[in-house]
Amino acid sequence: MLIGIDVGGTFTDGVLFDGQAVVTSVKQPTDQQNLKTTLLKVLDDLLTASAGAKIHRIVFSTTLVTNLLATDSGDKTALLLLPGPGLPLDTYRLFNDTFFLKGSVDFRGRELEAIDKAEVEKAVDAIKVRGIKKIAVVGKFSNRNSSQEQEVRKIIMKRDPQMEVAIGSETAGQLNFLRRIVTTYYSVMTQSTWEDFASEIEKALAERGIQTQVDILKADGGTMPLQISRSKPCETVFTGPAASTMGGKALTMNPKNSVVLDIGGTTVDISLLIGGHPLYASKGATIQGHYTHINAFSVRSIPMGGDSPISIDQGNINVLSRRRGAAACFGGDYPTVTDVFNQKYQLGIGVALQSSQKLAELIKGTGIDMETLCRAVEDTVFNRIQEAIQEMFMEWENEPAYRVWEVVHGRKFDVEELIGIGAASAAIVPGLAGRMQVECRIPKYAAVANALGACVARPTLALQVHIDTQNKVFAIDQDGLSGSIPAGRSFQMKDAKELAQHHLVEIAKSRGMEQYAGEAEFYLEEQFNVIRGWDTVGKIFDVGVQISPGFIEEYQGVSR
Amino acid sequence: MKPTGLIFFPAFDWAISPTHPEREERLLYTRDQIFEEGIMDLPQIREYKPRMAERKDIARVHFCVPDVDAQITEAHLVSAGSSLVIADAVMKGEVKNGFALVRPPGHHAMTVAHGNRGFCNINNEAIMVEYLRKKYGLRKIAIVDTDVHHGDGTQEMFWHDPDILFISFHQDGRTLYPGTGFIEELGGPLAYGSTINIPLPPRTTDMGIHYVLDNLVLPILDEFKPELVVNSAGQDNHYSDPLANMCFSAQGYAILNSKLAPDIAVLEGGYSVETALPYVNMGIIMAMAGIDYSNLREPDYSPTRFKESSQNMQYIEKLVATQLANFRQREEVIARNRLEHKKMYTYYKSIFYDTDGIHEEQSTQLRMCEHCAGYRVIESSAQHPRWGLNRVYCLSVPSYGCPDCQAEAQKLYEDMTGSRNKYNYVYLQDRVKDVYKSLESALSLETVL
Ligand SMILES: [Zn+2]
Ligand SMILES: [Zn+2]
Repeated sequence: MLIGIDVGGTFTDGVLFDGQAVVTSVKQPTDQQNLKTTLLKVLDDLLTASAGAKIHRIVFSTTLVTNLLATDSGDKTALLLLPGPGLPLDTYRLFNDTFFLKGSVDFRGRELEAIDKAEVEKAVDAIKVRGIKKIAVVGKFSNRNSSQEQEVRKIIMKRDPQMEVAIGSETAGQLNFLRRIVTTYYSVMTQSTWEDFASEIEKALAERGIQTQVDILKADGGTMPLQISRSKPCETVFTGPAASTMGGKALTMNPKNSVVLDIGGTTVDISLLIGGHPLYASKGATIQGHYTHINAFSVRSIPMGGDSPISIDQGNINVLSRRRGAAACFGGDYPTVTDVFNQKYQLGIGVALQSSQKLAELIKGTGIDMETLCRAVEDTVFNRIQEAIQEMFMEWENEPAYRVWEVVHGRKFDVEELIGIGAASAAIVPGLAGRMQVECRIPKYAAVANALGACVARPTLALQVHIDTQNKVFAIDQDGLSGSIPAGRSFQMKDAKELAQHHLVEIAKSRGMEQYAGEAEFYLEEQFNVIRGWDTVGKIFDVGVQISPGFIEEYQGVSR
Repeated sequence: MKPTGLIFFPAFDWAISPTHPEREERLLYTRDQIFEEGIMDLPQIREYKPRMAERKDIARVHFCVPDVDAQITEAHLVSAGSSLVIADAVMKGEVKNGFALVRPPGHHAMTVAHGNRGFCNINNEAIMVEYLRKKYGLRKIAIVDTDVHHGDGTQEMFWHDPDILFISFHQDGRTLYPGTGFIEELGGPLAYGSTINIPLPPRTTDMGIHYVLDNLVLPILDEFKPELVVNSAGQDNHYSDPLANMCFSAQGYAILNSKLAPDIAVLEGGYSVETALPYVNMGIIMAMAGIDYSNLREPDYSPTRFKESSQNMQYIEKLVATQLANFRQREEVIARNRLEHKKMYTYYKSIFYDTDGIHEEQSTQLRMCEHCAGYRVIESSAQHPRWGLNRVYCLSVPSYGCPDCQAEAQKLYEDMTGSRNKYNYVYLQDRVKDVYKSLESALSLETVL
């Protein structure tokens, strides 16, 4: 048995899944003040339903870190930056308590300017005076040479052993200093709250005598062990949409170009599956308006859903965003989007008569007839969703390209099907698919697709290696790994790929996910000759390898 | 404030040859620098996706022998097309200005293209300029070529066009490829003074170049009043460039861009891939986007490293005075030329294609038209190492050409193609109608773009 729990903003969904069918599902309102309580309540309900059957795996997706970041309520954190030459320093002054230090390296990892020990110590003292106990140290090009960041960390620890320090190269090793700053800062800021949460969950599970594997869903639609997540709190942001998208993918299991529409009471979340693969946000997860190095799905949210109330204002028919309660067919006072579709297509949702009655009350005396009202609301709903889908395609098709091949071959997204999940999708998605002349799937278990997506998602891991054979060094964008390459023989792409693969396997082992290492695929293979004068003096390789989002081995789709 | 448009197209899968300066590695460290800085994430920058230029965009300015496809690779179409994307973004007002940071380069490519010259096959700026004229009705455009090499291709393409001001400053042709760009080269008889060359002595520094900018380039632009300014942004004036001997710095380039304020910049040469390009490109982007660049410098830069000699300064001051005078008497000279020359003005020249080892012989006849820049007849023969001897006959009607010139060129094309002739290919480039014809004589096969 598998358990998946998605702690959402309004509701928490949980499923008990036997590998082919959902045995039980649970829905609870989320207590924002106490996510742990909600989570455990849902867990207990599922455990009760399991009636002692063996639980192989539990996966959680929670809004804890997302909320911390949205409300800026993490731990106070100082930033020590080593920006070197380039953009003005103000560009990097994104947060309070930012200090700029001497020291810089260039794109090939050469030191341009040394750090100044006294300056670092002075900064540490100033940070202490401000009552701050956490420091993020981030250098420009620290992903190519992390020694200055490490040196600064040593100086800090020596000056004040109580300080908690994280460095950029170990947190976010991809190119982009701005995003490295943001990612490292937010990681430090949320880490202890997340660790406390992880400990509490572990304790609660121990109390219940559960010794099974516990994983956390990540923003990229993959999972990681709870233990590993302790040092990577930021990867747990925006996992709600990731859970839904993975759910949509799990319930359809086809390699089509699909649009996943998660239509709930107040929002429509849209994500794309391109040939079955989820589309990622090209600039990473955006947190508080800042781009990050956190790999996240590209999701567009529209503040509109099944519970969006309908109003008529001076002859204008409007779909409002603020929820006023359930749809009339479920006993609500105001007619909503769901009621309109219920009326128009005779869907028989809830008490259908109440939909008709409330809508009739609404149009009374306005001179608008029922058919006009329904058509206008449907048009509004469809247009908003279609516009958002169109924008997502355009954005994807127009993403910058850096190779001739990519430009020549272009990108074109032709939708083949809409996948509707979430409570209100059955009312809205079929009509929309008809209008767009594409197939429509409202899969079985669509209402709990998010929790199901979480429980069958497999671990993911992506790493990129940068190898400089002239300088005989390599650096990996995960965990600050780096090393030297053997001298005295010619290094080829084949060797570069082996190096990348080797490290992927090692990291996979350390995360208890080695059984998926065989699924790894290379997504980047770049090679440059370093020429000085007319001689080749070395090569630079950039190789990327990843275990992409997918499903655990035992999952083969739900039974019909 | 509108953002600056940027296309970064390093063509990581295209090179002239593995160890050639125009190779994949050229913009690698520039990529590292601009990606690491995170400048594309700033609201001041809007990044665009490249596209391929149409073959017609190329036929509008070049006579490609035997046809467009023979002279280009897909990389050329993308590089040229990227400039067009930036041009569209600027003209539509989506951005305040734009930079096509692209390769392969183009400013040595000339009207008739038999092969690759100076790492260039087709001229990105010329293609963009005529595209802007055709699509948006622009007429007067200035191109300022800041590459260390004389932009001989761009000069040749607009040699007879009084509405295109071409200004090139570069290392003196006596000491550097392509060996042209002297002060006497001032444009054709009907476009005199709209070509201005500033050959600078080797080791000219920021000070010398800024003197030229302040006292010649900017005043001339002021007087010419172009509707759009293009910077052919070569970066090989840099003190570390391996192919030239100048002493310009990244700060110097950035300040130049602030002062010049081009609407569009297009990357040209620059082969100091590791010590100059990452910093110069950052400097240009920052200057165009209005971002403070005082914190930008090369790792080995020191403000006191290079000093302009007083001898150099005297030379430059004299040069500037001469060229300012030449520019200011252009209308007078053109009027005199109209009286002096007969109906057709004829000249001959030889062109060498260094990269491909081609020798070309050319004769040009220009109609001394009273109403427009005049149509041209170019007869060219070239010995190509692979294709052997090619003789071609080319007719070019300029943008804003008059109906007489258009009709006469059309008739010449019909006469030539209607009978046996000694040319392998006959071309008609009618920019007014935007129709581009070519005839392969042996097969009597006409292609129309
Ligand atoms: Zn050059
Ligand atoms: Zn004329």
